Amino acid sequence: MTSDQDLVVETVRDILSGFEPFVLTPDRSWDSALWSTLAEAGLTGVGLPESSGGSGGELADAVAIVRTLAAGAAAVPVAEQLLVAGPAVVACDLDLPSPEEPLTFAVAPGVTAHASDDGDGPGRFTLSGTASDVAWAEVTRHAALLTSGPAGPVLALVTLDGLPVEPAANLAGEPRGSVVLDGVAASGALLTADEAAALRARFALARAVQLAAALEQVLAWTVQYAGERQQFGRPLGKFQAIQMELAEMAGEVTAVTALTDAAVQAVERGSAELVLACAAAKVRAGAAVEVVARLAHQVHGAIGFTQEHKLHHLTRRLWAWRDEAGSELTWAPVLAAGLLADGPDGLWPALTRVI
Amino acid sequence: MSSLLGLAPAPRSEAAEQVRAEVREFLAAELAAGTFTTHVDTWLSGVDPAFSRKLGSRGWLGMTWPRRYGGHERSAMERYAVTEELLAAGAPVAAHWIADRQSGPNLLRYGTEEQRQSILPRIAAGECYFVIGMSEPDSGSDLASIRTRAVRNGSGDWVVNGAKVWTSNAHVSHYAITLVRTSPADPSNRHAGLSQLLVDLSLPGITVNPIRILDGGHHFNEVVFDDVVVPGDMLLGTEGDGWHQVTAELAFERSGPERFLSTYPLVAEFARRLAASPDPAGLATLGRLSARLLALRQLSLRIAAALDRGELPDIPAALVKDVGTTFEGDVIEEIRRVVEVTPSLSSPDPLARALAEAQLHAPGYTLRGGTNEILRGIVARGLGLR
Repeated sequence: MTSDQDLVVETVRDILSGFEPFVLTPDRSWDSALWSTLAEAGLTGVGLPESSGGSGGELADAVAIVRTLAAGAAAVPVAEQLLVAGPAVVACDLDLPSPEEPLTFAVAPGVTAHASDDGDGPGRFTLSGTASDVAWAEVTRHAALLTSGPAGPVLALVTLDGLPVEPAANLAGEPRGSVVLDGVAASGALLTADEAAALRARFALARAVQLAAALEQVLAWTVQYAGERQQFGRPLGKFQAIQMELAEMAGEVTAVTALTDAAVQAVERGSAELVLACAAAKVRAGAAVEVVARLAHQVHGAIGFTQEHKLHHLTRRLWAWRDEAGSELTWAPVLAAGLLADGPDGLWPALTRVI
Repeated sequence: MSSLLGLAPAPRSEAAEQVRAEVREFLAAELAAGTFTTHVDTWLSGVDPAFSRKLGSRGWLGMTWPRRYGGHERSAMERYAVTEELLAAGAPVAAHWIADRQSGPNLLRYGTEEQRQSILPRIAAGECYFVIGMSEPDSGSDLASIRTRAVRNGSGDWVVNGAKVWTSNAHVSHYAITLVRTSPADPSNRHAGLSQLLVDLSLPGITVNPIRILDGGHHFNEVVFDDVVVPGDMLLGTEGDGWHQVTAELAFERSGPERFLSTYPLVAEFARRLAASPDPAGLATLGRLSARLLALRQLSLRIAAALDRGELPDIPAALVKDVGTTFEGDVIEEIRRVVEVTPSLSSPDPLARALAEAQLHAPGYTLRGGTNEILRGIVARGLGLR
């Protein structure tokens, strides 16, 4: 990590510490005060070019912010804005909304976009259909939706103000409502199939980055708890059975971190294998959740199974995030098919090329 | 954010990619010429001195060592690429594997100038092979409890008595770096009084007895030392410092791609089958296995980069070996869940053969080089729990 990212992480941690991220509530569904503070500090525009109204900086800086917020179970749509929607809107030459106004992203196959002018660059579209499972739909002002149009996929930028939203939530209580679009005007841009695939992959990577950070934090909490909690006159962590479990968790967490970091680097350098790198990161991160969440709860015992302990804020996110932006079931076949694209003997060359 | 256990991401190495392409081309030509056939777990079972000499002549052994000892002064990242390609192809690399991986680095670190000059160039040429003299019949995971003794005689030589086991390919090797007790055991400091000796396996008094593994293969041996006189100048490193030296050696032993690629040839056969007739369950399995493998590569690359920085990442190496060897075994179960194939060592079907080889070698993956329980103990220490 560069010193820039250290500074960013320090700043976000300071801000988080002022918001008591782990108050013992059942859910943390939207923290508008935290969002405002982050926005005032310019942190909701990091990684987005200043020429578009962002704060500048690299993707790695944005990733560092997202990781820190994810580890803190912060109830703000920063991953969607900084890692997916913001960069996509900028790449499509659409007008980036002010980074101070939350912008989310969703894959919306149920929404069709019809061009309402004849331009072939960024243009105007009319959207119809329902976008379901839209992260933070209830609280964001803007959404970048990956929709389908007669000429191919369209990235549509829509203002959600006043649109009907059917509220819903994921396992962690994060807003995941459905937006009904009935002839809604939006700006948008036609994407190639490859661009649409890359966008879906970046969304998956955003969740993988959040998963990696939450997995690390869950491990750290569990190690700490095992050092404090005494049974039979000793801390839990002194028992070999517990040590084996914590070491297994560490193996999973470290593997996820290494692969996610590598996928972020693949995106940064614009790798031709970006989709496969992101797919691999999401599959690996998703697979680690079963082990890490199970063992974290096992070590924490009954208190971790209650809302009186902070653990659930992250384990419920782990269980939710692994299925969002495509689960292992979605991405594993994509990864495999991509690795086999060069034929029956192509697996090894492909594996060494992806990351 | 770097990983919890503190290894920075590996920088990309163009030099590594270049040598990777050269090795790949070499292996394709050798396969086409029929000089070897692909097998599972060939770093244990694929003994082929002629092949080892070919690698030596190409400069792919002793890669990171100084030129004055026959090395090539290349990076650990380049060596990583070479070893990874050889393993993925299931090439016969067992003869030189231990010498190139850990005995040579151990000699570089602790050997005398004379030991280095007389032995390292032969290792780098693919002509001199080593075995690991650590485990004994009564000392497995509890390595400090070894009882093989070495006592100085009147002429300053060492007289060795005892036995070492699981010494892979001792019957074709030249030296054993042998951990011996040179002072009586001290209950208050179990790690004291141990030393490493460089033992020429042709010395009188050494008997090598084969121990066959589950598929009938002869790789393991028991090496018995009966009043073996080892010249005094064959002490490796410092008398009494054997435990410390072994720990360093194990960092090399545990960190490489052979800790997750032993069963890769089985994955490659599975992929060939799948490419011919793709089905959703098979693709999902291959995707999951590939994601695990890609993560392990990244971890192992980080370790190679740490070695290039002069670090000795023993705790991350233990972690990678734990995760990697678990993967090697899981490959078998994952594949047989989605492909109907009966494992058989004599089948004409390469997938059935690879599956049989992988299955019959499977118990070894999570034992050799330190059991996964021992490794997890080391990781737990890294987490601050002990």
